[in-house]
Amino acid sequence: MNRKLTRIAGLGLAGLLGSTSLAAAEVTVEFWHSFGGSSGEALAEIITNFEEANPGITIEAEHVGNYNDIVARLQAAIPAGRGPDAVIMEVTRYGLFADRGVLMDLTDYLEADPLKDELFDFAREVGVYEGKNYIVPFNSSTPVTYVNKDIFERAGLPEDTPLTTYEEILAAAQQIQAELGDEGIYGIAAPGQFARWGLIMDNDSDLIDSVSGEILIDAPNTVEAYEWMASLVHDHGVASADNVTDENTGRDAFFAGNVGIMLNSTGNYRQSKASLGDDLIVRPLPCNKVCAAPIGGAGIGILSTADAEVQDAAYDFISFAASAESNAIWFAGTGYMPINRNTAEQPLAAETLENEPGIRVSIEQLDVARGRPRPPVVTWMRATEYDMWQAMALGQREVEDTLADFAERTRTEADRMGQ
Amino acid sequence: MLRKLTPYLFVLPLLGFMAVFTYIPILQSVNLSFREWDFMSPTKPWVGLDNYRLLLSTRDFWNSLKVTAVFALISVPLRLALALAVASFLIRETAVSRITRGAIFLPTVTSTVSIAVVFSWVFSTDYGAINGFLKMLGFDKVSWMQDPELALYVIIFVNTWKQLGYDVIIYTAGLQAISMEYYDAAAVDGGGRFHVFRRVTFPLVMPTTYFLLVISVIDAFQVFTIVDVMTRGGPAGATDMIVNMLYRVGFTLFDIGTGSALAVLLFIFLIALALVKARVIGRRVHYDS
Repeated sequence: MNRKLTRIAGLGLAGLLGSTSLAAAEVTVEFWHSFGGSSGEALAEIITNFEEANPGITIEAEHVGNYNDIVARLQAAIPAGRGPDAVIMEVTRYGLFADRGVLMDLTDYLEADPLKDELFDFAREVGVYEGKNYIVPFNSSTPVTYVNKDIFERAGLPEDTPLTTYEEILAAAQQIQAELGDEGIYGIAAPGQFARWGLIMDNDSDLIDSVSGEILIDAPNTVEAYEWMASLVHDHGVASADNVTDENTGRDAFFAGNVGIMLNSTGNYRQSKASLGDDLIVRPLPCNKVCAAPIGGAGIGILSTADAEVQDAAYDFISFAASAESNAIWFAGTGYMPINRNTAEQPLAAETLENEPGIRVSIEQLDVARGRPRPPVVTWMRATEYDMWQAMALGQREVEDTLADFAERTRTEADRMGQ
Repeated sequence: MLRKLTPYLFVLPLLGFMAVFTYIPILQSVNLSFREWDFMSPTKPWVGLDNYRLLLSTRDFWNSLKVTAVFALISVPLRLALALAVASFLIRETAVSRITRGAIFLPTVTSTVSIAVVFSWVFSTDYGAINGFLKMLGFDKVSWMQDPELALYVIIFVNTWKQLGYDVIIYTAGLQAISMEYYDAAAVDGGGRFHVFRRVTFPLVMPTTYFLLVISVIDAFQVFTIVDVMTRGGPAGATDMIVNMLYRVGFTLFDIGTGSALAVLLFIFLIALALVKARVIGRRVHYDS
């Protein structure tokens, strides 16, 4: 009897120890991201594939809003000790978090990872701050020019109407407005912040010099670019004022077939294609003075506060998400650019590239694409730029005065942040 | 001894709750208002009154104070006057008045974000229902939320629409508490409707008015969600209320010290306003009818 009891107790103990060690092998990574809709579905597929390949790791993904929302929520969560383990961070906004030690340095992880050699140079570069890797790229994009072919035809514009300079874009938008304005159709969507940055680069300028860190907000070419962009709304009335106070309305109106031209991230390709079908044409960004395009998108970082084993598991996921297989799912499902050199060889990506020429535009544009600066002040600057843009585009303040004021405030803020 | 302690024991849980969720955060805010912090830095250096100096020297602060004051000056009397008028019409306990009161109260219990999103569409310049209606009548479209002269009035309209139901219910209760004897006496004296309202209803409903005044002024200085969803303080700062600025400074521009200084100033201002109201209006309120 005693022997039997001992055996049962022994088995029970062994079972208990076994379950404990099994529980210890289970790691959950809390991951905050910004993807809904078709992008959210593509991400969910990648996470499912990862969890199947790594049975001990669970990715608890949470969609917490757009890039701005993530920054705001992260700031509130950090002092409360309730931050996630991994987070998507937009490529110009993570510098502040890297600078303050919130994000962990991933250089050692990446150096030991074969992924390092698979990433395109442009993609690898966006994750580097002060010589160290803080994020691993996940979704990379550049703005492109989207055209509604049906609207062009109805306005009497040939499909290959040149859209290379500011004047050419304005002329096309004015013709659309003149021909179809009565139907509630606008020539162009007022450019959102990412496209505005691209148009400034196309005018041979920038907001902050990515090498020297010099603030160029009040540089003559930046002023000229803003004057042109604001004139689309205020002087020429070819873009809706609604797009200025709510940037998503321009994109939504384009999807709805109410706008002829939209300059926006290639991340909008899939939704544009689904909305307009064969009426969608994708062209490169204009080259007003030079050809240039900003590289946008985001990468995944790991918080310094996460436990070591969670950090390891989070890196495994990040590396998996940037692999050629995952990147092919992401590229085909969203339109974001491939970040992995081997992505194009994946059958899904190859098929997409062959069948959808529009999706290739951003890749071909990479020759002139460049990374943007990411010192801590950039997050402040981007948050403030919205108000400045509104004032200029709605004709409430002179462009030159507004930008002089904005530049001065940005310099003061950069000094305050110790840049 | 235990008998003496009993009442304190009863209020202890509530005091604990208030200490954790109200008093300690207030003290923390006061402390942070004298420090420089961005939520992330491990240190919070003491900067004395620098945050207050910075705040008082910025154009944004004075603009938001002005915008909030204008909002309160228009919104509060409008809410109270409309609510009293509607409550006076709906005071009788009929099926129609009960249904109408319920309908008017619905926005109060509806999500503010949903209301703000719907009104953003309604007031949209190019695709909004109001401009569609104006266009049908042959008028030009109006830039409701892009025109700095109009945007604040749109916010006032939406806020009034949302809050009116609550004010009406409170006023209805206040009006129903007035004894009919006063109205009978006034009728015997031959008082007209306006005369009766001025001499009987208005003075006797004053405690309710005073209560609503205090609540709606505090509300007015704390409006955030409608502004954040509909205009984000724009265009060009035309709807940049104090709480909106507080959120922007603290949570978007990473300056929690200055944000806390703004919160402390708002707190002091509201306390001062409550004291002034108590001194100026409170004395005229008679609770014994």
